[in-house]
Amino acid sequence: MTTAQASSLQHSTQALAVTRFPILLFVAWRNIWRNPIRSSLTISALASGLIMVILYASMLEGMTRQLVHFATDISTSHMQVHRQAFIDDQDLYATLPWSYMQQLKQDFPAVKVSPRLYAAGLASSTTTSTGVLIKAVAPKTEPDVTQMLQHVRHGELNLGIADITENGFQRYNLVIGAQLAKNMKVNPGDELVLVTQAADGSIGNALYRIAAVLKPLEPNFDRMGVLMSIEAYQQLMYLQDGFHELAIKVDEMKELNAIQQSVTNRLDQLKKIKPLDELGGEAVVRNWRQLSPAVADMLEMSKAFVFIIGFIIISLASLGMLNTMLMAVHERTHEFGILLAIGMKRRWLLVMVLVESFFLALVSAVVGSLIGLVINDYFEKYGIDFSRSMPDGYDWAGLVFEPVMKGYLLPGDLLMACLMMIIVTMLASLIPSWRTVRLKPAEVMR
Amino acid sequence: MLIKYNKINQLQQASSRNTVYIFSFLFFYIISLPASAIEVDALIQHIDELWRGNTSRANMTMTVKTRRYQRTMTMEAWSRGSEYSLVVIRQPIKDKGIATLKVKENIWNYLPKINRVTKVPSSMMSGSWMGSHFTNDDLVKESTFKDDYTSNISFEGTREGKKIYEITSIPKADAAVVWGKVVTIMEQKNLSPLYALYYDEEGVLIRTMTFDQPRKIDKRIVPMRLTLQPEDKPEESTIFIYKDIEFEVPLKEGFFSLQNLQRRK
Repeated sequence: MTTAQASSLQHSTQALAVTRFPILLFVAWRNIWRNPIRSSLTISALASGLIMVILYASMLEGMTRQLVHFATDISTSHMQVHRQAFIDDQDLYATLPWSYMQQLKQDFPAVKVSPRLYAAGLASSTTTSTGVLIKAVAPKTEPDVTQMLQHVRHGELNLGIADITENGFQRYNLVIGAQLAKNMKVNPGDELVLVTQAADGSIGNALYRIAAVLKPLEPNFDRMGVLMSIEAYQQLMYLQDGFHELAIKVDEMKELNAIQQSVTNRLDQLKKIKPLDELGGEAVVRNWRQLSPAVADMLEMSKAFVFIIGFIIISLASLGMLNTMLMAVHERTHEFGILLAIGMKRRWLLVMVLVESFFLALVSAVVGSLIGLVINDYFEKYGIDFSRSMPDGYDWAGLVFEPVMKGYLLPGDLLMACLMMIIVTMLASLIPSWRTVRLKPAEVMR
Repeated sequence: MLIKYNKINQLQQASSRNTVYIFSFLFFYIISLPASAIEVDALIQHIDELWRGNTSRANMTMTVKTRRYQRTMTMEAWSRGSEYSLVVIRQPIKDKGIATLKVKENIWNYLPKINRVTKVPSSMMSGSWMGSHFTNDDLVKESTFKDDYTSNISFEGTREGKKIYEITSIPKADAAVVWGKVVTIMEQKNLSPLYALYYDEEGVLIRTMTFDQPRKIDKRIVPMRLTLQPEDKPEESTIFIYKDIEFEVPLKEGFFSLQNLQRRK
């Protein structure tokens, strides 16, 4: 072979490259199905890996959605305003004046607000006494910001006046946490005595009727929470001039940060008109991420979790792929030797093996996604039900989860899982393809 | 020399008490121990019974001053030994009739407005008593002070122109108490307490009780004003002022009962 001949052949090879690629694809595709059982097994291994990743991503997303739901809709809402002293040590006197709430209501017609008040007290039934956390809400506006009042386990939610005692005092209804009801052995309809130190230093005491028991909102409330109307609270505590907490719900979560900023600014202006007393500290606006950092951290972490766990599962599955391709290359060394001997470029051989791996990965991705979607659909609809063993759900890191675990699959997660699988398997197939490059035709053809 | 002088001085004082004391004191002086265990116990016992005797009835006012409010309550109190006591609020009108009954380790409150008796659970013992800087635990633990603490005289001599005893009490290992150390300072001349300093387990002073306005009642010198000052809130305090105390009033055990708590509105 002369140099001129060689160079013209090289030239024709380059010219043919574009037309040769589809043929290569076709050959690679046919090569996969030369051993259909082996290829199917590889595909099913990869596909099941992918299904697991999809379901895992879906489960974690479902959990984070539940977390966000619990962190916002159940009792926290999207934002809260407090005084610094209340945040620091639940200072009873660290209230914000009612006029602030009216102003905020006027200035932000798009957002919903509802005030809350808190106190510590001693609750007694006929048989037991225990320390409780008194929480007061406005029954009219609370449903605008949270679903707290719909969270009834048994009894009927009512925070109004139950009856009048023999010496002329009003007996208000209240609702209590499930664990507290269990510990005190009280049921809806029973009487509860609350004793506390009122804001003026006197001994606040009153009789109440338990109207309902609430499902767990948060572990603390569940264990020691007593919920009453603001009206009842004011009669017990003699604390008229303000509220401790303002729950704010925004229309669009996207605008949360902007609204938080403008509420903070507005409060600064209000402070100039009606100054706050020094002892209570500044008014602080915090969004739900700041209020429940555990949830915010969990959200941050869950993405990384999906990636790491997914990577491990796919890597394991791609070991199957590696084995298949090594076998395939090993079987065909003789064939490859002949191809090389008749002038096939080594890089074409490498590309062919890579394309074979790619096809395997692609088929696995399609099969895995389809089956994954079907299973996920069921998972999203019905979920995994733990309610028999844990009727109240479970709490983790101070957050209460529902007993039914439901999935939620984001299209982005599905795409990421498929992409990750293809990339990992392609990386794994570099090893067998590299072996083809290093073949010595004379040796393998012997 | 000074120490010796003090000891002699003490001996002279002690001569008015019974001779057993003198002998025991001499004995301990010879083996050069700083103070006699018997002497300390007697001093603690003395303080313990100062406002109480065997039985007592007293009228007093309690003024609670906090950053947010100041209020004065008038109350009447009865006691029998260290185990039984009953306090009824007479004024102001809003709290009138609210009563606290203490029997041994238990505390009940009677609330006339709702006509209910509630027991203070152990989890609420550290809570404030009637809005003051005293806790429910203070009421209970007062009667077991002798059993809960090991006391010794840590200083005796002249301080601020007064001859005093300084008694340091450290809780026993198994005692369920909140303080890490209690230091009581009392005058030698009339055995009237001046200060009680309460430290936490880290040795930080948490609150100071000051005793003053002594008055002679039934041969005893009783401080009529007790001021409790929390160290972290210098602007707050609780002041007890006894208007009168009668000792050895006839009181039956049944007086300190839940039935009686409800009956005497």
